[in-house]
Amino acid sequence: MTAKRLFYITLCFCFFSGLSTALASLGPTEELKPTLNKIIDILADSDLSGNQHKEERREKIMTIAIQGFDFLEMAKLVLGRTWNRIDQQQKAHFEQLFTKLLENTYIGKLESYSGQEVKFQDERIKGNRAKVSTIVDNNGMAIPVNYVMLQKASSWKVYDINIEGVSLVRNFREQFKSILRKEKFDGLVKVLEEKNASFLTEESK
Amino acid sequence: MLITMRYTILFLTGIFLLASLGCAQRQSATSVPDTSLEAAQGQDEEFDLLSDDFFSDAPSSVHEPVYYDPLEPMNRIFFEFNDKLYYWVLKPVNTAYSAVVPVDFRYCFGNFFTNLSAPIRLLNNLLQGKFSDAGIVLSRFLINSTLGVYGLGDPALVDFDLEPKPEDFGQTLGAWGVGEGIYLCWPILGPSNARDTLGFGVDVYSHPVVYLNDDLLVSAAYYSGNKVNLLSLNPEAYDDLKKYSLDPYVSMRQVYLDYRRNKIKDKAAKQNVVDEL
Repeated sequence: MTAKRLFYITLCFCFFSGLSTALASLGPTEELKPTLNKIIDILADSDLSGNQHKEERREKIMTIAIQGFDFLEMAKLVLGRTWNRIDQQQKAHFEQLFTKLLENTYIGKLESYSGQEVKFQDERIKGNRAKVSTIVDNNGMAIPVNYVMLQKASSWKVYDINIEGVSLVRNFREQFKSILRKEKFDGLVKVLEEKNASFLTEESK
Repeated sequence: MLITMRYTILFLTGIFLLASLGCAQRQSATSVPDTSLEAAQGQDEEFDLLSDDFFSDAPSSVHEPVYYDPLEPMNRIFFEFNDKLYYWVLKPVNTAYSAVVPVDFRYCFGNFFTNLSAPIRLLNNLLQGKFSDAGIVLSRFLINSTLGVYGLGDPALVDFDLEPKPEDFGQTLGAWGVGEGIYLCWPILGPSNARDTLGFGVDVYSHPVVYLNDDLLVSAAYYSGNKVNLLSLNPEAYDDLKKYSLDPYVSMRQVYLDYRRNKIKDKAAKQNVVDEL
């Protein structure tokens, strides 16, 4: 009798503990899907379209993006070794500038698209990193977009986007490296600030 | 005659550059310390940060340096030249062209140019031992040249579901294990490297336009026609690159190298799968 009871208790315990770990850690695709879908929904939302709603729209997109994308990790990667040489304040400032740059460039680009559809192809996991392959259908042209993700504290976040072998992080890193070599960190900050400002003046036109 | 000479010169330059690969690497360690430092730094950083198992499926790429660009000052000059050419000539021409020629026609012309260069893809698929893909290239050529009215349409894709199989000699060389050598930015032609320059020279030779006429002007007209038409179909690509990058030269170099490596690596990865089977 007690043995049977014990067996059931153990069984229940196993079942629930298994369930809870499954709930705690979603796979990379499950984490990425809602993020992308929410961003697409905002872009498709007619109440938020047009230049007059731009700030509101960007703010909403960025709130979602911060949950799904690891901007700190990206900032670290694009700076390379220089990251270790700068202090906390500079790190925070750089992360903020780089996030703004990504917002200006990539969300700016996304805004020009319409009626995009993202198809999830497959995912590969190796240790705490994963690659989720998607196909973006943009007006009949299929673009393969891969999201490279890192697992931190059991949640998966995107730290690189790779399109046909062309890596976003690597591209920025090479550019920054070439600027850092000539103008050091302060020069890079200035270039970033100027670039971000150029989007503001362009938009106010 | 003139055209043959021109390509011979291009071809020889390619061979020279390719032959100089080994030297270029060694030289960079001594005469161009900046570049060698760059490469060395890039290499170990590449592997502690983005040591992407996903990006380096092929074992050869583990040893592949990030890039060699000892001619950067010269390349930058040509990059600037191409930039001016784009904004002063190509873009205005393209704007006029796009205004006059409807987009459907432009796709047709694009198909026509692509179809005409089928011999290049056939040859390179064969050289890489991809016989089924070579068969697809041949079928596509035959279908599109007849049903597609001289290649203006693409019924092979639409009705027969035959995807294009683009291959060029630069990729063939890559698949054969030839290193990419130094990065080059050619005037008019744009980004390339030593290997792809040699590949381009060979591809020019296997293009029917070279055989069908001996006139440099016709070839130049063909080339620029193709270029303008291509641009009219992807008008935003270069503008975006300029707009979104802090150093467009470096950005373009990285895009080119990443894109080409990916094309060649794909092949190597597929080859491994075949070997395993």
